Parts: sequence; structure tokens; C-alpha cells
Amino acid sequence: MSINPPLNTSGTLNTGSTAAEPVTEAAEEVHTAYTLADAKPPLDEELLKVENLTVEFPTDDGAVKAVRGVSYTLHAREVLGIVGESGSGKSVSSMALMGLLPKSARISGSITYRGQDLLSMRPAQQRALRGEKIAMIFQDPMTSLNPVHSVGDQLAEAVLAHHLVPRKQALGRAKEMLDMVGIPQADKRLRAYPHEFSGGMRQRVMIAMAIINNPDVIIADEPTTALDVTVQAQILEKLLEVKDAVNAAILMITHDLGVIAGMAHKTLVMYAGKSVEVGDTDHIFYEPRMPYTAGLLGSIPSLEGETDSRLRPITGTPPSLIHLPRGCPFSPRCPLATDVCEESEPDLAGVGEGHWAACHHSDKLAEAEDPTAFFRADPETAPPAGAGTESEEGR
Amino acid sequence: MMRKNKAQPAGTTQTPGTAADAAQGMDVVARTQFQLVVRRFFRHKGALVGMVLFGLILGLASTSIGWGPIPGWWDKNPVSTGAVVEGGRPTLGLWPSFLGGGGLSWGEHPFGQDDIGRDYFAVVMRGTQVSLTVAFLVGIVATVIGTVIGAVAGYFRGWTEAVLMRLTDVMITIPVLVFAAVVAAMAGRKGIVFLGIMLGLVTWTQTARLVRGEVLSLREKEFVEAARSVGTSAKRIIFRHLLPNVVGIIIVSVTLAIAAAVLLESALSFLGLGVQPPDTSLGRLITDYQTAMMTRAWLFYWPGVFIIGIALSVNFIGDGLRDAFDPRQNRVRD
Amino acid sequence: MLVFIARRLFVSLWVFLAATAVMFVLAANANDPLEEARQLPDNERDAAMATITERMNLDKPVLIRYLLWLTSAITGDLGVNRQGQDVNTMLGTAFPATIQLLTAATILAIVFGISIGVISALRQYSGLDQTVTFIAFVCFSLPLFWVGTLLKQYGAIEINNWLADPTLSAMVIAILSIVVGLSCSALLITDRRTRWTTFAVTTVVMAILLTVLSATGWFAEPGLGIFVIALTSIAGAVAFTTLVSGLEWKSPPMRAALSAAAIGIVCAVVLAPLLDDPNIATLLVLTLITVAVCAGLGWFFGGELYRRQAIPAAVFTGLFTAGVIFTDRVMQSFADYSAHSRIRGRPISTIGPSTPNFEGTFWEHTLDSAGHLLLPTLALVLVSLAGYTRYTRASMLEVMNQDYVRTARAKGLTERAVITRHALRNGMIPITTLTAYDIGTLIGGAVVTERVFGWKAMGVLLFDGIEQGDPMPIMAFFLVAGGAIVIFNMIADIAYAFLDPRIRLS
Repeated sequence: MSINPPLNTSGTLNTGSTAAEPVTEAAEEVHTAYTLADAKPPLDEELLKVENLTVEFPTDDGAVKAVRGVSYTLHAREVLGIVGESGSGKSVSSMALMGLLPKSARISGSITYRGQDLLSMRPAQQRALRGEKIAMIFQDPMTSLNPVHSVGDQLAEAVLAHHLVPRKQALGRAKEMLDMVGIPQADKRLRAYPHEFSGGMRQRVMIAMAIINNPDVIIADEPTTALDVTVQAQILEKLLEVKDAVNAAILMITHDLGVIAGMAHKTLVMYAGKSVEVGDTDHIFYEPRMPYTAGLLGSIPSLEGETDSRLRPITGTPPSLIHLPRGCPFSPRCPLATDVCEESEPDLAGVGEGHWAACHHSDKLAEAEDPTAFFRADPETAPPAGAGTESEEGR
Repeated sequence: MMRKNKAQPAGTTQTPGTAADAAQGMDVVARTQFQLVVRRFFRHKGALVGMVLFGLILGLASTSIGWGPIPGWWDKNPVSTGAVVEGGRPTLGLWPSFLGGGGLSWGEHPFGQDDIGRDYFAVVMRGTQVSLTVAFLVGIVATVIGTVIGAVAGYFRGWTEAVLMRLTDVMITIPVLVFAAVVAAMAGRKGIVFLGIMLGLVTWTQTARLVRGEVLSLREKEFVEAARSVGTSAKRIIFRHLLPNVVGIIIVSVTLAIAAAVLLESALSFLGLGVQPPDTSLGRLITDYQTAMMTRAWLFYWPGVFIIGIALSVNFIGDGLRDAFDPRQNRVRD
Repeated sequence: MLVFIARRLFVSLWVFLAATAVMFVLAANANDPLEEARQLPDNERDAAMATITERMNLDKPVLIRYLLWLTSAITGDLGVNRQGQDVNTMLGTAFPATIQLLTAATILAIVFGISIGVISALRQYSGLDQTVTFIAFVCFSLPLFWVGTLLKQYGAIEINNWLADPTLSAMVIAILSIVVGLSCSALLITDRRTRWTTFAVTTVVMAILLTVLSATGWFAEPGLGIFVIALTSIAGAVAFTTLVSGLEWKSPPMRAALSAAAIGIVCAVVLAPLLDDPNIATLLVLTLITVAVCAGLGWFFGGELYRRQAIPAAVFTGLFTAGVIFTDRVMQSFADYSAHSRIRGRPISTIGPSTPNFEGTFWEHTLDSAGHLLLPTLALVLVSLAGYTRYTRASMLEVMNQDYVRTARAKGLTERAVITRHALRNGMIPITTLTAYDIGTLIGGAVVTERVFGWKAMGVLLFDGIEQGDPMPIMAFFLVAGGAIVIFNMIADIAYAFLDPRIRLS
């Protein structure tokens, strides 16, 4: 535990964005459009290495296999997106990183942070890393802050948990952070309670809390899902901005490919507790090699005027994680599924440079002109992509 | 709560798990609400033991000495006196023979005899019948009044709510036992049915508060909004849309009210304010024989054991029902 | 906030007024006040009935009688009962005993109920949790009067008999030791081996202790002595500091607490003459000085960094040490008390709230009250404890699953800080409402307990009033009981608002 507080944050980034102006959230957006292209590039240094992570929860009906062997590496300053539906194990795997899973969870595999094995650490060591080196932002800002403590207290608490400094100094640091995340009149707002903030503002507070100790890794678990669409973009920009201010890497967990698009250097797609496709975000978006990814892409509404831009949803629901199908867990919903898919579960295999996919038929996707077109309203008239007129209920 | 699943497409029988379910079950196998409740209830060991115990007590009380004109299998009755045999000592043997005891035996007077030679088993059974009757009446009356007042107060805001809630406040200001004592002094002489109804009239506040709280949150839900928007009458919304959704807490509160009523009735009878002679109840028996305790302890213990048995089993059933209807508390298991 | 309190006060006043009306009408109809008079011989009957009718205004309608009562009650005159005795005087003598009983029972039920509930929730599904839950259910289902009678008949007589020759048999020592060992090990959150060690060590220590105490006749002449006082105080200092800021031997809060204990021990010796026969005022002043000195110690040792932990640690330790010294004094006077001519070796009483015409030192009076309060309070606590335990457990379990508790853990707070600062603080909010609700139940319980133990207190006003169809004593009782409920409800509302800023600031 260090004695000195991390007071040397770059005070340059927040200029212009806060202070003087009559700050509405919308006004601020105009000033700081911060995109991934502006962000500092990733370094080679490996911060976090997850290898073959599995998590199971025993229940009365059998073990729920929430995560079934996930591996990835997070480099310094990198943004890694993890995408998947609810129940795909993306949140559970991030909670495992934080050591926040319930005691009943059975975890195996390894998670190393700068070479230290997180899973074999004593609880006190794990706690010393939490919030100090690895911080987390949760999905629902409305319930993630304690309603009975002032925002300033809750922020200062994060400093005091790791640094031996006077309370005043911790509060000063809290104010600085509120400034940085763009909360106007920070010194006044320190004394306010969470219910006096809007959802977007509360999420900014959560971001401030995450970066207050200059962490190396920020885990953002669906940070914008609970927010209004207009606020989402601002929060994401702010996240990128503060990441550079503290030189952190971000693990961005979301079910929304749209969030990943402008945010992540690399993307990992999860389905039924496994990673089914990994690669540079561009690869994932333009050359998906796993039908599930393609299906997700087809589910994004597009504003750019293609005449045939209809939604192409994936039918069905994810499998039970207690009774998984024998083969590829996506096969019951997959338009490309053949007998082999129901027999054996494919492993991740290289499909291009820095691009892996777990599919028996990734070559079929490579050949297709529009991979999303496999997901058709009417399976009879599957590819090639054509303008359909029948209604969506046709499924 | 209202998750009635239709058949899922593509051969799956599961509903999609929400994020909150992720830590536990991930998916819930499609069952009706009723089946789920029953399943959860039967997993609650305390509730099962409570059911068995309560069933035994109820069965014993209602069949042994008969009920009203219906005769029972026990050959003695709670009124005939007789010679006191062996100082009225109980003849019930529970000590198993392999431990050197006399084995499980019933004997002539299993619970002994009182000072005028009445068979104490029959007396206790009669007391149990009376206590249970009063308790059930109280539970039903209190629940009906509490539910209606709570639902109406919760659904109609403004004037109606204000009046009903102030009425509840007034009732709460008077301690239940005090309220009941005064009412029982008036009602006790007029028989146990009247007593039960009167006690129900003073103990409904808890239920009313519970139901109102639940209805308050339900009335903001979309399905009520939808019903209102198509012009459904208030009466219909309350009885067809709201009450079916609070049926869980109503059932729980009726069980808890019965358990509380057993204790209340016995306390009042102990104070001499509840059931009046020649009728008797478990509480009355304890008062009558509290001084006999040092010499003939069984006269004091048996009614007490039955009061505890009833209250404990009903409380356990209530707890099981609460868990079954609202499993939230048990979500994270660690 | 002031507006909130004022509005609350206004509403409560009207509600209370309406409640008095309801109560009066019911009370007036509970029984026939003339029934006894009717059975008198002919020559006395008419005169007696006329007197009672006149005294109770029976010729006027109930509503008028209520208004008459109300107007005089507002001026502080509660009228006379059927026999013509002044109700104010009756209330004055009945009030203190009931308040003693209620206060003792409420505080004990709240403190133990909440602590047990919290521990039980933190160890959900453990053996401890299941045992506590089961015992709570049993207590919840106990008829108070039955337990009271049982305690009165067996508890008092058995304890008094034992005190005549206070030695423990080997069997009793073994059972007590095992129970203490089990409870100590159940309270720890550690692995199985540490628990077994704890169990073994505490059981053995307890067994040796009890054997020595029994052999030396300690129970007949109990007392702690300066050595035990010192040891207990230091242990208290360590425990409180651990609770407030974690176990670290050389931390400033620990130093503050230990020095508070040390000063307390020195005071126990130096101030001994002052405590030979003190009065309440002296003790109160001493307590205040203790708090001030300890706060000062905390401030001084805590420095800028630790003040927030050091001050409470020192103050709790100081008060705890004071409590230990107090207990020692009470114990020391036991032998004298027990030998007193009015007690004659039977200190656990089953009748009345105090020994009539008893004279002795402050400590002996304290023992006298304690001896009379012990069993009624035990009965009352036993049946009301369960409600708090179960409610607290449920509330804590609910809070522990909240997102903000996860956030607190994600910040890297210690588990102690997560529980005390986040879970407990939020979990206690709904408990305030329960406390207000429970006071009514406790008052009901108190009158039953009084009846069992033959106390001439508030319950007598109620039951005599009901029996005689006399509203005056009933209303006097209700003014106090209902008033207490109204006030408790208001305090609860205000405490709720104070604890929850969402209410406070809206």
C-alpha cells in the first residue's frame, strides 16, 4: 500500500470541457468528441492474461456452466470489447477478474495481472488490487451508488481504502475527478446524494470512482445499457478520454456491437460461455467468420440508406447452460448448421491474421458477399441477400 | 411473477435468463406459476415439518372427541367427571421399550386427569378445537377486511386513501392486546364465534398495510395502465388484475394472522377476558391450572405444548409459503 | 425537515385524538359498572348505584362523557375511578415500574435481536444461521404468559435454591463449557480447523474457570477484582478497535482505546471511595466525564488521519470499562444484599417490581431492582427478540445483494468496511419502522407479564378498568400507552428520514 496519493493526474484533458460554460450535457458534447482514433495506441505490455477460465455455479438442478474456457490478453492502454447476449458469460468472467463472484462459484483456469496469479492470491492481496489497479464500472448507475452516503464520501472512500491520506485530501482528489468526468460545480456536488443526480451524471460519478486511484485496467460492464441513447455516446467518449488521462486499458463488456464499433481495438465474441470469435474490431465487423457474429451484425439497425437494409434477427434463444447441446451450442439457431455441428463443438482456429473463429463453416462465411444475409426472414430464400417484402413475423 | 410461458420455438424449453438470473439458475424451466410455488414450498423443510405437525394436531383435535354432534373415536368426553386415578398422573408412555421403557402406550388417561377427574386428553382436545376455531375466524376476518381496505386504499389515491390510512393509523395507535382485551370483555360472553369475529375486527391492520404497499407498486405497472386505458372499471381492475397478483402475500398473511391469533386468544383467555366457562380453550386451561404447576405439572404443560405446536407449525408453513411466493431472498447462495 | 416534523406532529395529534375517542367508547361498554352494586342488599343498592351513576356520569350519553373526560384530561386531570380514587395518583405509582420493565426489555430485545440477526445474515445457511432461525421461530410461537409462569415457578425457585449453596456439579460445568465453546466458535468466520481450535480452547478455559469459581465459593460472594477488571477492559479495547478500524496493534485507534482502558483501570482504584454509595447524579457526571476524556484521547491519538476511528474506539472502550467497574460493584454488594433481613437469601423475586420498604446502598437497590426485573424482562425479551432477529436478517440479506454493496467491494474496501459502512447502515433503515411497530406489541406483552408476576403497575389500571366497566383508569393507561406508540412512530419516521437522505431532502 503506497503512502502517497495519486495526485499527479494530467490536469490538461479536462480543460474546456467543464468549468465556465453553462454546462448542459449536450453543450459539452460539441466540445469533446473524443474517438478511438484520438486515443493513445496500445502498448505491447501484457497487463491481464486470462487463460482457459471456467466458472460454474452449483444449483439444485445441476451446475450452471457460465464460463467454459475463455482466454484473452489485455495489453496496456488497449480497449478490448467483449460482446455477447445476456447469459453468455461475459459479465461472470469479468466478475471473476474482480474476485467478486459469490463463494459458491467454482472457478478454474488462470487470471494473471502483471504476472501475479489473481485466483491463487490471498483475499487481502486481491482486495488491495481491486479499485486500485483494476477498477470496475457497473451497468446500472441508479443502483450502483449507495443512496445514504454523499457522492464525495463514496469517492473519497475509494481513495482511503488504498492510501493513507487525510480525508480532506481524498475529498480534494474526488473533486478533481468529478471535474475530469465533466460534472459541473464539483465542490458543491461532492456533498450531494446519488438521488440528486441524473442517470448519466451518476455514471460519470461511477467513472470518476473507477479512475480515482489511477488504475491500469478499467472493466466497464455494460456502462451505457441503462442510459438514454443521447447520453450513451457522451459516456463512451468520456470513458475513452479518462482512460488516456490515467493511461488505463479498458475491458468493455456489452451486448451492443454498436458500442464496440467506435470503442475497441480488439473484440471478443462470447456465446454460451465460450469465446466464439476473436480479432481486431475491424475484422469482426467486416469479415465475421462465425455465424453468430454475423447474426449480431445483422441485428444492428442501419441508418445508411441501403434499400434492402432490413433487420436480420437471430431466431431462437441461447441454450440452457445446465444442459448444453453436444455439438456447437449455436447450432440450433444457426442457418449454416449441418450434422457435424450437432456432433462436435468447434474450437477457436485461426482464420486470418490476428483473427480466430470457432466454426466448422467459417470458410462459407468467408466466401459470402454479405455474411449477415444468412440470417433471413425466410430460411427458404436464404443467400444471396435480396430485398424481402414479407413481414418479419414470417419466422 | 406472472411468467406463464408458452412453448418456445426451435425446440428449446427454456426462457431466456435475465442478467440477474445469471448467478443462479440462468434459465428457469418452463412451468406454471402454481407449479413453481408448490415446488419451492415442498423444498422448504421447515414448512413440510410444519404441515405434518399441524395436520396431526388438526386431525387429533377434530376426530378424537368428535365435533358437535359428530362422535369421535376417543371414548371419554371433556365434561364427565370421575374418580381420580393415581393422582391423575398421565398414562401416556413415550419411552421406547429398547431403552428399558414401557414402549409407546396410550393408557387410560394419556394426558392424566384434572382435579375433578375429567380426562385431560379430552379437555385439551376441546380446548384445541375452541382455540383453532377462534384463530381461523380471526385469520379469515382480519385478512378479508385488511385485504379490501389495503387494496382500495392502495388503488384509489387521494381522499379514499387518506381516510382509510388514517383509520388504520388510529387502529395502530391502540396496542393490539389492549384493543382485543376491551373487545373480548364485551364479546367473550357471547360465544366463541362472536369472539373470533370481533378479534378479527381489531387485527386487520398489518394485512392492510402489506396489501396496500403491494398494490401501490402494482398499480404503476403497465398491465394496470393498459386495463385503465381501455376503460376497465375500478372494481374490475382491483378484483381481476390487482388482487390475483397479491394473492401470495395474502395467503402468507392469513397464515401468520392465524398463528398470531392462537397466541392472542390464549393470552386473553389467560387474562380471563376471552373464552368464558363453561367453554374452555388452551389459554383458559393454563390459567386454571397455573397454580397446580408444582404438584401436577401436566395440567400446565399439555395446553402449552399444544399452543406452541399450533403456533410453531403455522409459522413454519407461513415461512415456507413466503419463500415459495417470493424467492428473492434466497437468490444468492453462498 | 422542520416542516416535515411539524406536519407529522399535526397528523399524529389528530390520529391520537381519534384513537382516544374509539378507546373511550369501547372502554365505557366493556362491562357494566353497576353490576356489583346491583347485587347488594336492597337497602344499600339504590344509594350505591346512585353514587356510582353520579361519579361516572352514567346518566349522560357516552359522547358527552367522552367530552367531559377530554376537557379535564387536557388540563391534566384524569378524573376518579369507580371507587372515587384519584386516577392521577394511581398512574403516578403504576408508571415507574412499567417503564422500567419496558425500557429494559426494549433495549435488550433491540440490541440482541439486531446483533443476532446481522450475524445470522452474514453466515447465511451456516449451522449458526439455521439454529438461530429455528430458535427464533420457537420464541416467536411461545405464549408469553406460559413462559412467564414457567420462569416464575421454576426459574426463581431453582435459582434461589441454588444460590443457597452455589456450587456447580461436574455435569453442569461440562454442559455450560460446551455451550460457551460452541457459541464462540460459531461466531467466527474462519475455516473449520480454527473453529475447532477455538471450540476446544474456550471449552477448556471455561471448564477450568467454572470449576475454580465453584470451588472457591465465588457465586456466593461474587466480584471481579481489579485484575479481572483490567483484563476485561483491555479485551474490550481490542474488540472495539477491531470493530471500528480493524485489528492492528500499533495503530492510533488501538493506542487511544488502550489508553482509555488504562485510565479507566487507574480510576477504578483511585475513585473507589467515591463509588461506595453514589447516587444517580454522581454516576451520570462520571459517565459524562468518561465520554469527554475518551473523546479527547481519541482526538489526540488519532491525529489527522485516524480521528474518525480513534474517537469512537476510545469512547466505546471508556464506557465499556465503566460498565465493567459498575458490574464489579454490584457483584460485590451481592453478599450483603442476599443476607439482608428482607431478602433472606432469596434474591430472585417473583412478585412485584421491588421489595417493599427495602433500605440499603445504591448498589443494593440496583440489585433489588435487578432481582425483580430479571425474570419478567427475560420472558418479555424472549418473545420479542425473535421479531427483531428475523426482520434484521431479512433486511441484511436484501441489502447484501444490492448493487452498491458490490460497488463497495469493487472499490477494494475491507469486508469490515463493506458491512459496517454500507450494508449495516442501509439495512437498519427498515428496522426503525419495526421498532415503532413493536412498541405496541411490547406494551401488550408488558401488561401480561405484570399480571403473571403480580406487579401493581399499568396493567392493573387496564384490567381493573375493564373488569369494572370504568373508562377512567383505562384512558389513563391509554394516554401513556397510545402516547408512547404515537411518539415512537414519530421518532421512527424522523429517524427514517435522518437515515435516508432520499426522504430527508425531498
